[in-house]
Amino acid sequence: MPELHLVVKDPSGLHARPAARFVQAATRFESRIVIRQGDREADAKSLIALLGLTIRPSSEIVLAADGPDSEAAITALVAELAPYLGTPTSS
Amino acid sequence: MVGLVLISHSGTLVEGLRDMVVQVAGDDVAVGIAGGTEDGRLGTSAPLIAAALRSTLAASDGGALVLLDLGSAALSLELALEDLEPPDRERIHVTEAPLVEGAILAAVQASVGASLAEVAASAEGAASMAKLPRS
Repeated sequence: MPELHLVVKDPSGLHARPAARFVQAATRFESRIVIRQGDREADAKSLIALLGLTIRPSSEIVLAADGPDSEAAITALVAELAPYLGTPTSS
Repeated sequence: MVGLVLISHSGTLVEGLRDMVVQVAGDDVAVGIAGGTEDGRLGTSAPLIAAALRSTLAASDGGALVLLDLGSAALSLELALEDLEPPDRERIHVTEAPLVEGAILAAVQASVGASLAEVAASAEGAASMAKLPRS
């Protein structure tokens, strides 16, 4: 199950617009995709779940995918969200 | 795709909300608005609501989700629905969801091609959505 550690670089954190982009991008993939922050986890295909994490700027999140297209999903999500999420710190 | 119809007692409220919805979800989702009375006062108008329902349905092959600001808008909405042809009425779902949060969540769900039932369920989840950060 590929996963990636990212630091949120958008000064507003993961706010509504990037979170919505995230959901739109994640929905294109079959894999289960989650964002984890600390001990909390949100389904990346659910805007309610993502906004419920209230992810702050400069905080570290983990993006993980599980399923047949998980590698492609991670690659696409990171590319699409690079302006908000910053570059991976480790994988 | 499913469209949204936003109904409020204030025209400026739904104009602003439509701007937010389009910013967040993109402009693929049709968003109809009906706010205030025909002469620009605060209130609701069945003819304005009926017009918003018709134009949104015309642009949305998946039907339309309707959100209201306050219960008193439901009376005008009832009149507007009676004015529609039955096949059109069947393509409309009216939700109890909170207007602002519900519209944003519904629009994002609609933008990924979800069904009217899925879009409605997403809007209804807004009632229990956390807003303040949990430490």
